[in-house]
Amino acid sequence: MKVLNKVFYNKNAIIIFFITIALCIFGLIMVYSASSYNAQNLYGNSTYFLNKQIIGFLLGLVAMLILANVNYNFLAKLYIPALILGIVLLVVVLIPGVGISNYGARRWIGFGAFSFQASEVAKFCFILFCAGYMTKNATKMTTFKGSLPVLLAGGIICALIMLEPNMSVTICVGVVMLTMLLIGGMQPKHLALMSIPIASAIPLLILLEPYRLKRLFAFIDPWASPQGEGFQLIQSLYALGAGGMFGTGLFNSRQKYAFLPFSESDFIFSIIGEELGFVGAVMVLLLFFVLIYFGYKVAINAKNRFGCYLGVGITSILAVQVLLNVAVVSGAVPPTGLPLPFISAGSTSLVVFMAAIGVLLNISKQSRV
Amino acid sequence: MKKDYTIYNLQKRLLCIICIVTFAFILIGVKLFLVIVVQSKSLQTKAISQWTRDLTLSGVRGSILDTNGNVLASSYTSYNLYVRPASIIDAQNSADTIGSILNIDSQKILDKIQNKKVSEVLIQKQISPEVALNLLGANLNGVYLTETSTRQYPYNNLLTSVLGFTTIDNDGQAGLEDYYNRFLVGTDGYSLTDGTITGVELSNATTQYIAGIKGCDITLTIDVGLQQILEGVLEKSLTEQKATSALGIIMNAQNGEVLSMATKPSFNLNEIPREDVQTLLKLSKNTAITDVYEPGSTFKIFTTASALSLGITNLEERFYDPGYRVVDGQKIKCWKTKGHGSETLVEGFSNSCNSVFMDLGLRMGVEKFYSNLKTFGIGQKTGIDFNGESSGILMDQNIVKNVDLARISFGQAVAVTPIQMITSICGVINGTLYQPRFIKSITTQDGIKTFNSIPVRQTTTQQVRKDLNYLLEQVLSTQGECQFVTGYHIGGKTGTAQKYEDGKVAQGKYISSFVGTYPASNPQYVLLLCVNEPSNGMYYGGQVAKPYGKEIFSKLFNYLQIPPDNPDMIDTTNLVQVPNVVGMSILDACAILKSIKLDYYFNEEVEVVFSQAIPEGEFVEIGTIIILG
Repeated sequence: MKVLNKVFYNKNAIIIFFITIALCIFGLIMVYSASSYNAQNLYGNSTYFLNKQIIGFLLGLVAMLILANVNYNFLAKLYIPALILGIVLLVVVLIPGVGISNYGARRWIGFGAFSFQASEVAKFCFILFCAGYMTKNATKMTTFKGSLPVLLAGGIICALIMLEPNMSVTICVGVVMLTMLLIGGMQPKHLALMSIPIASAIPLLILLEPYRLKRLFAFIDPWASPQGEGFQLIQSLYALGAGGMFGTGLFNSRQKYAFLPFSESDFIFSIIGEELGFVGAVMVLLLFFVLIYFGYKVAINAKNRFGCYLGVGITSILAVQVLLNVAVVSGAVPPTGLPLPFISAGSTSLVVFMAAIGVLLNISKQSRV
Repeated sequence: MKKDYTIYNLQKRLLCIICIVTFAFILIGVKLFLVIVVQSKSLQTKAISQWTRDLTLSGVRGSILDTNGNVLASSYTSYNLYVRPASIIDAQNSADTIGSILNIDSQKILDKIQNKKVSEVLIQKQISPEVALNLLGANLNGVYLTETSTRQYPYNNLLTSVLGFTTIDNDGQAGLEDYYNRFLVGTDGYSLTDGTITGVELSNATTQYIAGIKGCDITLTIDVGLQQILEGVLEKSLTEQKATSALGIIMNAQNGEVLSMATKPSFNLNEIPREDVQTLLKLSKNTAITDVYEPGSTFKIFTTASALSLGITNLEERFYDPGYRVVDGQKIKCWKTKGHGSETLVEGFSNSCNSVFMDLGLRMGVEKFYSNLKTFGIGQKTGIDFNGESSGILMDQNIVKNVDLARISFGQAVAVTPIQMITSICGVINGTLYQPRFIKSITTQDGIKTFNSIPVRQTTTQQVRKDLNYLLEQVLSTQGECQFVTGYHIGGKTGTAQKYEDGKVAQGKYISSFVGTYPASNPQYVLLLCVNEPSNGMYYGGQVAKPYGKEIFSKLFNYLQIPPDNPDMIDTTNLVQVPNVVGMSILDACAILKSIKLDYYFNEEVEVVFSQAIPEGEFVEIGTIIILG
């Protein structure tokens, strides 16, 4: 324990580190299980997705360890460049030729073999901006005027992400923005006032794109269109239902045989439920919960306001994404594509989240506890 | 946390956020529990059905056997060829290989297997085991064979309209195959294989087989030996008499069993002309059951039976026939326009004199005659185990005038089906009307269900049927030959009926029929023969149908090894061989026949003989009448 304490500075950091690593390794196993069949079929190599994920994990590990040992306070000065970077990435991704389209949305920026999802990076840029700005203008944050730059930046980023389009990340950013404003000291009445345009924007956005309306109906009654809009949700429910209390056993999923689309990425939690059952799924959720709990704990105990805000932002985005992903998979909210942090196949998300955890570890290192 | 940098309660707000997150996690946990645990069973059931690819294994159809266990119809295992397009690696090559093995156009196969929208596509049905082995030997990916069965009929075109046939999918389509379909069909089994959404089998897939169950075997009352005799003779009659069709039935008079039934022409059941629907419908129709005809003189059996039952005549009663009767001012001719003169009932029956039966009919009156006809089963379906039976046509009792009654009495203005005719004849000469049937027994999984004879009602008293059988025997022993088939007591009656087309008599179109009964005194084997539209010059039942009846009976005795019951009558000293007189002038022919002590009969109009009732070379007794046409 003493050795661990020396390396990881305190108990909170130890827990966060090990849970993160555990989730990542568990993710590697599940990515392999869920994707090997499709990988063999599409790329002639059953470890195609696993290999990419391992690279992401190694890159993420490096990023995490570096950031864990770099004083996070240098980030406080970068909040404006961060915002600019985020916006630039989101604009660049929209440029045909640079941005790569997939499944009807332009979300990836590619340089040869390397490509990454712009919004994955941009949402952390936004958090950094919020934390930096709110620290600098702490006293003004209780006023509506003081919180306007945050709202403006959030609005621009949300609008850009919606242009890709990517509804789920937009929701994520929106929720995190509200959390940041709450923690920044916004008055409850202002928060309530703000939720009105946001609440009214959602039905507007749904009506704007017919496919969203279809998805909404499919969510209300997926069996009405089992081969159409309801297909993915039904297949996800089949997987979970097939799992039962204890699951069919690791690697024994049947739904991964091309029945469940995106079984290795956005819907990997369905495969977890199928192979490991309710018990396994709840264990994974518990790990996430503990991680999130300790994330907030680190934020509370942060050395300074910036650390606190940054910690809350990082942890909140993790919480929102986990909850939203599992809610979609289990049919609690309408389907929207969002990766499960650390577990879903997708190296951008993995690297970015691991890097963020690195920052969190550094906040913990410098905390007063 | 230092108080100095909090101007509001940050800790409290964070706690609030943690609470919200915790609550959300609990909600999600509950939702997961509902989906994974509570709805598990119903979701699993639905999921399993999409995980497995099922292919049908057809349950083999039951066989059809004749009364002695000879197989009339059976099924052998054959294969249906399916392809799963998703598993095809080289479509062109696969299509070519399959095409060359099956000997079909490979382009058609290629079109089918390139359709990636379907997980399975049927290429060919009912492939023989040898071809199936070749396909397996070709080692193609994505090619699957499922078991099915092919119907085969070992006797080819025998019993065609009775057995009927099945659809390509082994479902009864016509005849007994259709009527007894629910017993014959097997219960399908399945093969379930784990597969992906596109139908590709998993590499570690296990296949579960649920075997099909064979259908029941059914045994018929048909005797294939008799059937072959009947059909052979019918075929012969078709060519010799240039008839459009011919049919025959042999029935066991004592229980209603159909021993053989045939309609000709027919087709080979192993080469069903499915493309030519018109021909198929025409030839597969069992006209012995579905179609009606005007019976003519054979119907006089019922008139006589009815009159004898009512006691209004007796065998010795004398009648006078001037060649016609005048009924309600209308002159109705006897077939012999010169008239038969004075004759007893026995002679009148043998002569088939219309006047006698007109007298009997009018004497009975509509009410009593009809009542008896209905007792005999005329105008009603027999209830035979076959689809599409007709009930025959009996004029409405209330509109029958005396003229109609007179005509019905000798077999006109009434229509029966052949099965009804023979069933009712069996009924009156045996005393009990039986429901005719083809079914003898059904062999199920649990055992054999045997069908007993189904008596419908009593028809005639012992005295009446004794007289009737005597009358029938006299027909054959006085009409020319002393012995119909030498050494056997056989009863019989011929009939010649006009055909009607569009409600009018069709000139020159006749149905010549013959009814035979053996043994004459207590008949067991009853034969009905109908030759439709003979066009080789002769049309009388005695000329056209009777000789074939004789041939059938002599072959029947030989086949069933029935020894002569009247050996005393076999006397070769009195026999002469019939010469050929066809082509001679009528005077020359008569002279030749006279010279060898044969009698003759001809219509006055005849000048040159173009037909003779008894063919050249037959041995007949001295004094036999040879009818010339």
